[in-house]
Amino acid sequence: MTNDKSISELLSRGILSENPIFKLALSMCPAVGISTTVMNGVMLGIAVFFVQVFSSVTISLFKNVIHPRIRIPSYTLTIATWVTVIDLVLAAYMPGAYAKMGIFVKLIVAFAIITMRLEMFACKEKVSDSFWDAVGMGLGFMVGMVVIGAFRELFGSGMILGYDVLGYKPLLFFILPSAGFFVVGLMMAFFNWIEVVYKQKKGAKA
Amino acid sequence: MNMKRLRQLVLFSLAVLLLPGWLQAADFITGQSFSGDNEITVTFAGPANTEVAGDITKYTIYEEADPDIRLALASAKVADDAKSVALTFADPLNTTQTHVVSIAGLTGEAITTFTVAKPYFGYLLSIMISALLIQNFVFTKYLGLCVFFGTSKKKSTAKGMGVVFTLVMVISAAMSWFFFQFILVPYNLGFLQIVVFIGLVSLTVQAVDTILRKVNPVLFNSFGVYLVLVIANCIVIAVPLILANNNYNFLETMMLALGAGGGFLLALYLMSSVAERLELAKIPPSFKGLPMAFIVAGQFAMAFLGFSGLQLF
Amino acid sequence: MNQILTITFRLTVSCLLAALVMGSAFIITNKAKKHNEHVREQKVVYSLLGYSDQNPAPESVHLHEVYRYVVAEAGQQFIGYLVPAPHDAAAPFTFVALDLDGKMAFQNPVNAAEEKIREAEDRKLAILEAIGPGKEITFAEQTIVVTDNGQRIAYLLGGKFPGFKTFIAVMMALDPKYTLLGFEVLEHEEDPGLGAEIEQDYFKNQFKDKPFEVLKGLDVVKAPLPAEYQKALEGDLDEAEIAKLMEKYRGNDIYALTGATISSKFVTDGLKGIAKKYAYRLGALDSVLKEQQIAVSF
Repeated sequence: MTNDKSISELLSRGILSENPIFKLALSMCPAVGISTTVMNGVMLGIAVFFVQVFSSVTISLFKNVIHPRIRIPSYTLTIATWVTVIDLVLAAYMPGAYAKMGIFVKLIVAFAIITMRLEMFACKEKVSDSFWDAVGMGLGFMVGMVVIGAFRELFGSGMILGYDVLGYKPLLFFILPSAGFFVVGLMMAFFNWIEVVYKQKKGAKA
Repeated sequence: MNMKRLRQLVLFSLAVLLLPGWLQAADFITGQSFSGDNEITVTFAGPANTEVAGDITKYTIYEEADPDIRLALASAKVADDAKSVALTFADPLNTTQTHVVSIAGLTGEAITTFTVAKPYFGYLLSIMISALLIQNFVFTKYLGLCVFFGTSKKKSTAKGMGVVFTLVMVISAAMSWFFFQFILVPYNLGFLQIVVFIGLVSLTVQAVDTILRKVNPVLFNSFGVYLVLVIANCIVIAVPLILANNNYNFLETMMLALGAGGGFLLALYLMSSVAERLELAKIPPSFKGLPMAFIVAGQFAMAFLGFSGLQLF
Repeated sequence: MNQILTITFRLTVSCLLAALVMGSAFIITNKAKKHNEHVREQKVVYSLLGYSDQNPAPESVHLHEVYRYVVAEAGQQFIGYLVPAPHDAAAPFTFVALDLDGKMAFQNPVNAAEEKIREAEDRKLAILEAIGPGKEITFAEQTIVVTDNGQRIAYLLGGKFPGFKTFIAVMMALDPKYTLLGFEVLEHEEDPGLGAEIEQDYFKNQFKDKPFEVLKGLDVVKAPLPAEYQKALEGDLDEAEIAKLMEKYRGNDIYALTGATISSKFVTDGLKGIAKKYAYRLGALDSVLKEQQIAVSF
């Protein structure tokens, strides 16, 4: 399945058909933990995007040098390095947003999605393809975080990106800490439902 | 043989924990503790001079960090047998702080000074309880969700997983603590913590894998499969990161790791118990699988919110 | 054997590369981090004093940092204050130590550059050098005295106290009569939607302009926030109306946040404790400074 890919294919795979949050259900912790606002989603999305792209490119560049027996340690080292860099940069230049994300920036190091892309894609493919694949996956994660964040922010505090759009707070419940589980669960169910309906329609036509 | 050694170890650690208490008790003052929000109870070896013990002007009491701020006493009530006195304060005390109490002219010496603090053992336990229930890593910190949803389908898997995680967490937390305190902090290398901690976790997993395979193949056959899942999991790496943030000492670190591991085990067990039942339930097709698991986890999380603010010690 | 050598070699090289990347990132960001932290702190300080970008602080406003230490010497304890001396003094700083009853113990001029005093380690060394051997000092807190044309207009104090979950770090401003001018939450980990509301104006402004007499006995009431008061707190009314309503509720206790009574209580008690301790200490320090005729810049 990895032969002959166009950029758009690589991108759409990460964002839609293999979306890390809704489809692969990987790296769920931040999606539940800090998705209370759109801003948090964007910030962590950027951090993950950065780590994914840089790690993929690094591994892809060095794929011929990396000995297969120390593959996994090399991945871990690469990811940890870039996570450290983004962690330092965010702490220095965006202390406010960094404080809100707390420990989750550091925890990107343990995100299964990043290691998985390195193992399944970057260590075999060309640098440019790995780059676009990583961009797609990073964007997919960001989109997932932003969608959940927007839902929770809109319904929980009536705001989007800190601007008051509704003027009242519909359901405080959605920004309460534990509501993350419900929101993610409901959204997954919603996507499943769309898929089922879509398939039924297709079946009826055929 | 093994049991004997274990017992010795337990006795020794208990002795170390209780030693400060014994040392203090060697005096005329045999006991001192907070009782309630604004009260300190002091007990004596024999009957005390009631005139001194009942006179609030003879006392000076302050928090250890603020020696110049004297706390105002409202009353000092000596018990009928004159063997204890209850000191009541005008304002509520900050019982997390160590309080220094001096009494003038109670014994032969001019001033008797002793400290009142919450028992350290209780503090340690409170760290563990907090990591286990109040700040449960799965339900209130939202960590380790991938593995949590992946392996909480059967009770037996859940138990194995939880035990392996706890083991790895305790070992890696111990190593991380040494590394952090003796290498990263002195040389100002705090920024390397992510790399160092993830390296130590991987190392621990590898070591546990090798040792378990040799020492106890039966155990390895049942638990070994979970070891692979441990490395790429945020819950294990979160423990060293949290302890680095909080500047815990070694015992506190162990308690945090134990509590975190126990909390994960508890969460997995609870979830798998529900999951086994869910298999028989009628669930709308679009909710089957993960969505339903998330809803259930959400309900657990809400229940665990009830623990927050809980103070046992 | 050969394979192991290659693996070792490559691992070493990659570790070195990684170390290089991380090291340079650290060096580059560390400076920016310190700078940004300082800027952020200054911003909080000025916003508490009522200045902003549109309404910048006049030239005549000066901040004077006072560092408090606990001094231990042969079983005795003192409270030491590092205070800035006036411009024309021989040494730029003075270390004044008070005994536990608030009486003068000793004082020493501290001769160190201002930049050095800002760094915790250098400051400690400078003080130790000034006060002579046999004494141990532990840093306790840093407070700021704000003057306008030599007249004190406010005190700024930082503090950290337990919150519902972990710690809450605040910075608060008092006027010379210890009336609370306002406070800012710097750090907290309270629950979003519940305890995290302590950051909101309708909670923070309840503390605004509470006189010291009220502040000393301030408590939390578990009652719904009156609608008119909430409007005034959020600044939704015109100024005269707000002033009237704030006056009306000035003597009242703090209305607890819905679903976060404990967080509200912690903040109230925390601020109360910091203000009370500060008022006591500053009183003692001021009377000693006056009595001993120690010249300070504030």
